[in-house]
Amino acid sequence: MIDFDPSTFGLAHTYQKEDKDEINTLALPSAPQVIYKTLNGPTQINGGNKLTNFKHGTTTLGFVFKEGILLAVDSRASMGSFLSSEQVRKVIEINEYLLGTMAGGAADCQYWLAYLANHCRTYELKNGSKLSVAAASKFLQGILIGYRNSGLSMGCMIAGTDTTGQHLYYIDNDGMRLKGDIFSVGSGSTYAYGVLDNHYRYDLSLNEAVELGIRAIYHATHRDTASGGVVRVYHIHKDGWTKVHDGIDVVDLHYQFAKQKGLVGDGDEAKQRLF
Amino acid sequence: MSGIFEYNGGSIVGMKGKNCIAMACDRRFGQQMSTITTNYQKVFKIQDNILLALSGLNSDIHTFYALMEKEINLYNLKENRKMKPTTFANLVASALYERRFGPFFVTPIVAGLENGKPILATYDSIGCKSDLDDFQVGGTGGNYIYGACEAFFKPDLSPEELEEVIGQSLVSGCDRDSLSGWGGVVYVLTEQKLTVKILKTKQT
Repeated sequence: MIDFDPSTFGLAHTYQKEDKDEINTLALPSAPQVIYKTLNGPTQINGGNKLTNFKHGTTTLGFVFKEGILLAVDSRASMGSFLSSEQVRKVIEINEYLLGTMAGGAADCQYWLAYLANHCRTYELKNGSKLSVAAASKFLQGILIGYRNSGLSMGCMIAGTDTTGQHLYYIDNDGMRLKGDIFSVGSGSTYAYGVLDNHYRYDLSLNEAVELGIRAIYHATHRDTASGGVVRVYHIHKDGWTKVHDGIDVVDLHYQFAKQKGLVGDGDEAKQRLF
Repeated sequence: MSGIFEYNGGSIVGMKGKNCIAMACDRRFGQQMSTITTNYQKVFKIQDNILLALSGLNSDIHTFYALMEKEINLYNLKENRKMKPTTFANLVASALYERRFGPFFVTPIVAGLENGKPILATYDSIGCKSDLDDFQVGGTGGNYIYGACEAFFKPDLSPEELEEVIGQSLVSGCDRDSLSGWGGVVYVLTEQKLTVKILKTKQT
């Protein structure tokens, strides 16, 4: 029996109702006037000033290949030009078979992905089977459509495994939900796409895929000021997910890649005048 | 990150030592959040004993430097002698004020050695000169470099120690500013020579 009340689809205020069946351990925010702190930028109300609103100042990417799904993210958080942290965890472990990536508002992503985790677990207990990736991502989409125009900032990827295989979805605060093979989200995504699109093949081996993810994130962190820190890599396969790399410093990667090309690595191959 | 001084990003710092001065700058040339090159020159040798560091809008960095080069060349030709660092420091102030109602978007630091004595002067964009400090900073990462300078600086450091201190201050400061970094260069000027060192920094 599928527990699905159509009236819960789409409207934010319906989430405030006490559901008699479920033990709701998470308090729900009352929409729509929401004041929040973005991952990048000052506290804003309902979207804020467009000129200073740096949503999604980050680089996250994910792609589907023959061994499953690879997720790679950076770890930088900045407030304007000030770097508040280089050690942020932008992959959220929803449960043992689902992962979510974070871009935009940190609080928004953390909270709603935890809410999703709660929902998945409840479903599993009531129905005896795990929630599919398609259903989990659609549930999140429903919530975000309900909070549309209220100022939430989220550009996340939901990746996971279920009985039909491994799937990758892109969800954002406008209520967009896209299924796809390659996604990159954030201010550094343009740089990451350049590298990813050049070397992506479905039949990459796991090692090649990890290399590609790391390289794409590195190139984005080099050019984009809002991305940096360390690269974290996760692999999703039929038995769940594995953390492949917990944090490779992109600075080390820069000098490593430069050495591979036989370059000195100070970024000045043209030997610009010094004084 | 709005604002004409934050458009290109970049940081500079100058420090006085015992009969020597040091200047350091980052190497980034960017356009808001995108980095274009990692080898942009921000410190210029005006004369054997004068260094000029500029931060702010890169277009004005280049233009203001060209203007100062012209001024010092003309001075050399007309007066047939070298310009004193204190004179140059004054020249920078008046050149900036000349454009009071349409200023150069730069914050310069002038460093020099006059009879072995270190001279360090810094300005706002319209020419207010401040020359009484032991170290000065400029650029988007300036405030973060201040903190590191206060921690590491001691008066009367030798050229080698000064090079170490200013390098560490620049790197620590730029590490907290997303618009500065991508390499660093340290210049140490003594009576005998000018040494230039390129620092290995974060490239992110």
